[in-house]
Amino acid sequence: MSEYTPEQPSTLTSAPPAPAQAAANPAVQRQRASQLAQALRLELQKALIGQSAVIDDVLTALIAGGHVLVEGVPGLGKTLLVRALARCFGGEFARIQFTPDLMPSDVTGHAVYDLASEQFKLRKGPVFTNLLLADEINRAPAKTQAALLEVMQERQVTLEGRALAVPLPFMVLATQNPIEQEGTYPLPEAELDRFMLKLRMDYPEQAEELSMVRQVARSTRADMLDVTPLRTLLQAKDLLTLQKIASDLPLDEQVLDYAVRLARATRSWPGLALGAGPRASIALVRGGRSRALLRGGDFVLPDDIKGCALAVLRHRVRLAPELDIEGLSVDQVLQQLLDQVPAPRL
Amino acid sequence: MRLTDASVAIRPRSAWEALDLGVLLARRHAGLLMASWALLTLPLFALLCLLLWEHPGWAIFAFWWLKPAYERLPLYILSHALFGDTPSLGQAFKALPGLLKPQLLASLTWRRLSPTRSFDLPVLQLEGLAGPARSQRLVVLGQRDAGGATWLTVVGMHLEMALWLGLISLFYLLLPQQIELDWSWQSLANAAAGEWLWLEHLSNLLYALLLIVWEPVYVACGFTLYLNRRTALEAWDIELVFRQLRQRLTGVAYALLLGFGLVLLQAPTAAMAAGASSCPLPQEDPHGPQAARLLKQPLSSQAARHSIEQLLDAPPFENRETVTLWRFGEAATAEDPSADSLKGLIEKFLKLAEFWKSLDAVALFFEALLWATLFALVALLVWRYRDWLATFTGRLGLPQRRAHLPPSQLFGLEVAPQSLPEDVAGEVERLWTEQPRAALGLLYRALLSRLLHDYRLPLKDSHTEAEVLRLVQGLDRHELSAFSQLLTRHWQNLAYGHRLPPEDLRHALCDDWRRLSAAGGRG
Repeated sequence: MSEYTPEQPSTLTSAPPAPAQAAANPAVQRQRASQLAQALRLELQKALIGQSAVIDDVLTALIAGGHVLVEGVPGLGKTLLVRALARCFGGEFARIQFTPDLMPSDVTGHAVYDLASEQFKLRKGPVFTNLLLADEINRAPAKTQAALLEVMQERQVTLEGRALAVPLPFMVLATQNPIEQEGTYPLPEAELDRFMLKLRMDYPEQAEELSMVRQVARSTRADMLDVTPLRTLLQAKDLLTLQKIASDLPLDEQVLDYAVRLARATRSWPGLALGAGPRASIALVRGGRSRALLRGGDFVLPDDIKGCALAVLRHRVRLAPELDIEGLSVDQVLQQLLDQVPAPRL
Repeated sequence: MRLTDASVAIRPRSAWEALDLGVLLARRHAGLLMASWALLTLPLFALLCLLLWEHPGWAIFAFWWLKPAYERLPLYILSHALFGDTPSLGQAFKALPGLLKPQLLASLTWRRLSPTRSFDLPVLQLEGLAGPARSQRLVVLGQRDAGGATWLTVVGMHLEMALWLGLISLFYLLLPQQIELDWSWQSLANAAAGEWLWLEHLSNLLYALLLIVWEPVYVACGFTLYLNRRTALEAWDIELVFRQLRQRLTGVAYALLLGFGLVLLQAPTAAMAAGASSCPLPQEDPHGPQAARLLKQPLSSQAARHSIEQLLDAPPFENRETVTLWRFGEAATAEDPSADSLKGLIEKFLKLAEFWKSLDAVALFFEALLWATLFALVALLVWRYRDWLATFTGRLGLPQRRAHLPPSQLFGLEVAPQSLPEDVAGEVERLWTEQPRAALGLLYRALLSRLLHDYRLPLKDSHTEAEVLRLVQGLDRHELSAFSQLLTRHWQNLAYGHRLPPEDLRHALCDDWRRLSAAGGRG
């Protein structure tokens, strides 16, 4: 497939100039979009070896216009994934390393006094970008984490009383480390709920790790994978088009009903103390649409919904204390739930 | 048995002190006791192991059950050693057959689980009592030190367990590091029985070995408790003091006796003669109060006394009442069951049984009521926590035991074989032109039904179409999975994408279905 990937960017960049033609033939456009998405997936898999499920999920969120929280132990390539994505994506990319002394204004921006013009000038913070990497987000205290609340939901930042829109598309990719608890601040529920997906990175398979080590040992920077050879496949407007196409994918009533039933089941499930809100249903449907696009399908299947249900739900529910004491994880309980909620009926 | 020969100081002790004495006694004769125990039990253990090699659990159980039989040997040794007459190993074993004979069956059956085993053993073995005499004796003995004896057994059980676990851990710790044993508990539990037999026999052996150390102590402690109780009951300590007094004073007493004799010889004889009539016999007094008087009068003294006695017998002076109550029966009556009393007893029992029979209906009613309450309570609890049960039993692996009943509905489709028409392919071809959705739905239903009932795929309500396909691929039937893929794709196109299937598909699908069902019918 990699033989004909170089053509992909040109096909889509040439698509928007002729919207009338594209609209006339949505099937062709949809096909192109899904080819582009698959090319992007291949490119990312070159950089990040052995994490294809996580790459799929990140692309799901990218196409669905949601934010992603990536969790994993150190050294699995969380930051590498985001850097590779930024590399393949032609838009702006900014990175904030969250530290305990980071202030909200360091994230959003602030007003500075300009001596020459004797006026206050707004200085925009790093959030004014397309792709924002919030590295180790749980190392900053709650007030700094809260600086992201507005921009994540409303895509705008209020500075000095003025609401400034951030450039679209806008996506936050946050990483956090699940094992270190000292000096970290757990994310508040409101913040967690704004992330469309929470991804868990696990160790790669043996064969994949072998090939990764081989590749890293060959690279010039001895201890990390290089992302420089990756090609830029996607511009900001291409991504907007992709999102538009994904949101236009047809969705059967039954599938919609399935997504809503999944989210509602978490609220009355005996093993869960706290269920997921309506944002979860919305995220399920959007995730299902973008997975369908990634799959190359023309409509959404229940499988698409079920495939992203775990990532959508796992940070929106809270485990009952009894099960927590017994050592059950949220994923196990959600898996039980997925095993018992009936698939769509026709 | 001569108390003066006893090698322990005989005095009343508390139960705990007596137990302490027992430990000391066992320690003093440790070599003999342990050697005799080992010689007796280890061959027996080896024999049991050989006989029951396939069932190590039964072997150790039989060995454990026979414990009262072995305990007679240490008691024999201890009872002789107490009075300085320590038998040799050979003598002890020579005496063994005689020791085993009395009441062995009782010891090994209904008295096996008695918590005061070592305390009761001397009554049987040393006093040779049996039957009611034995139980009466035990009641007397058990009035004070039975608690101590019970505690001895309880502590002994725990001590055995602790020593056993300790020996096992020691054995495990002593394994050299080079022997890499990957002993995860699950593999231990799941391992085929044959592979671990030697390990179980090894742990059994450890138990037999620790008994060599503990059992003599146990028997000795029971024995000293028994001695202590008898000391208190029969005042052995006082007897001992008297004996010592006698030993010390024998010479003095003879001298005193001689002295007294000499003194008596000097006494005047007249004095001795005077004593003959010193105590006159009481004689009937003719004028005493008991004599009959006033004989010439209408009311003689005799008649008056008679009527007075009658009056005194009547109610104001005499109140007789009969009180019936339960008392602990005298053992003497039980010992002498004459024919009459036995008959009366049986009659009483019969009457009692009749009385109970009349109460049976009431009892039955209450029994039924109680059982019903219990069942209702359980049912209520299960109903109340049904959600929890449904959640947790899934994790316990219980559903695997439940017979897997194929659901009659899947994705809202009837998939029971009875609900399908005889000729599925023909029906599909008929429906295809006017109702394509119904036609494809019928075909998909038929496929699911085949998968469920003929291929026994564990399909659930929560399975999506793609998961069903994955399960089909697991069956490793090329033709079936190709057909399923084709059918599922078009079914999804129709159901979720609202796209009609192409016309030429009809024949392909129907032919495939006919071929598949023919192949399935042959298989």
